[in-house]
Amino acid sequence: MDTQWPRWEVFKQDTPAKPHQAVGSVHAADPFHALLTARNVFARRPQAVSMWVAPASAIFSVTQEELAEGQEPKPQAPDPRPSTFYVFRKTSHKRSMTFVDYVGELEAASPQQALELARQRFTDAEALAWWVVPASSVTKSENSPETVESWFAPAKDKTYKQQSYYGLVGAPGSKFKRPKGDDDE
Amino acid sequence: MPGKFGKPTDPDYEARLAEFEARIARGEKIEPGDWMPEEYRRQLVRMISQHAHSEVVGMLPEGAWITRAPSLKRKMILIAKVQDEAGHGQYLYHAAETLGVTREEMLEALLSGKAKYSSIFNYPTLTWADIGTIGWLVDGAAIKNQTMLAQCSYGPYSRAMVRICAEETFHHKQGKEMVITYAQGTPKQRAMAQDAINRWWWPALMMLGPHDSDSPNTPTLVKWGIKTKTNDQVRQEFINEHAPEILEAGLTLPDPDLRYDSATGNWVHGPIDWDEFWAVVNGNGPMNKERLEARRKAHAEGAWVREALAVYAARKQQTAVAV
Repeated sequence: MDTQWPRWEVFKQDTPAKPHQAVGSVHAADPFHALLTARNVFARRPQAVSMWVAPASAIFSVTQEELAEGQEPKPQAPDPRPSTFYVFRKTSHKRSMTFVDYVGELEAASPQQALELARQRFTDAEALAWWVVPASSVTKSENSPETVESWFAPAKDKTYKQQSYYGLVGAPGSKFKRPKGDDDE
Repeated sequence: MPGKFGKPTDPDYEARLAEFEARIARGEKIEPGDWMPEEYRRQLVRMISQHAHSEVVGMLPEGAWITRAPSLKRKMILIAKVQDEAGHGQYLYHAAETLGVTREEMLEALLSGKAKYSSIFNYPTLTWADIGTIGWLVDGAAIKNQTMLAQCSYGPYSRAMVRICAEETFHHKQGKEMVITYAQGTPKQRAMAQDAINRWWWPALMMLGPHDSDSPNTPTLVKWGIKTKTNDQVRQEFINEHAPEILEAGLTLPDPDLRYDSATGNWVHGPIDWDEFWAVVNGNGPMNKERLEARRKAHAEGAWVREALAVYAARKQQTAVAV
């Protein structure tokens, strides 16, 4: 018996100026469960203002290699009513922390068509991988200041989770410099 | 059309392999969907899932002390640390999943005892000083290994490691601070800290893996940029960093042969008891049975939560359709 919950891809936005980035995945029973788990897994430190989740099964992903070899999945029948797709792109394989980043949205009749349009429209950088996701399958954390505050700010005052809180205790040549406010022992 | 995971029997394997190795030589990350040798995939799944299991099992020796922390501050720190370990397990299982293995298969391998996890978590935590010592020595050794793996050629593993190292540094520092606080405390506290260091020092050295001469996978792992250093290199770095700090804290190390070699700048250690290491790896450590049983029990006792969430999700979906 398959006891495994579906996998959801998690997109995290670190600051309002940065794009949502694919940071990993969680397994969850429903979209809200996925969002809550994503927050616990990927935002235990204050480094998020927004999160999106999408079922992995709803993501149409193609790599540059697959495109070059004509290996992308076969086109589906176009939808008579075009819908909105979110487009994500990975542009570098060089450094460790390079992600599949959100680049924009467009209207299309199928994921394949959305990919074609994306390749025409988002030409400012070479794409090593494309992810196309129907907007209707994306669940987002609420954007109101109250929600952002209650979801992502609580980590801010938990300074004991930060390495900087502990100073340079015991470093070679140190005099065992103690952190401030350490008065409970 | 060639498979994504090339086997040496593929007609175009050699050409593909040359291209793949050239990418690694150029410092490029290999990403899911890219061509890779089947052996590269196999080694990664083995390493990443073992690593994920270690994070999850690692919650047990520390979790047992949450209710017994000596102050509210220490309790909050320990809860945050144990929660981090759970998160690290999640990052890593995800990285392994990008290679086509399922979470369920990996969990099954852990619970059935087929999969390995770090030998270090099969030792008991006897006193509160062990919690600090695990932070300083065990997380210290883990960071050395993980900093190396953050350079690894497989993108998802490398990204998980960067994130983990950042959080693990908090674990390391809080542990160091805790042990040093005890080392400067009452005679009883100093004795507790020393006892913990005595018990954890050798297991910490062993957790970095067998000597290079007994580590058959290492050459392949280094060649393909999965590892960028050997077990002995990482172990030497760990000793060079930690031995002088522990001695500076006024504690001693349980190795009569330990000495600083000014010619090489290295701290030279005495012989490691590999019989003990292999006994623990093969399931005969002090806590192997308890750890696995605790995992199985947690999984079985959590079944109702999984069922309830699944039923709730199904009902919500039905309601959504009905409306």
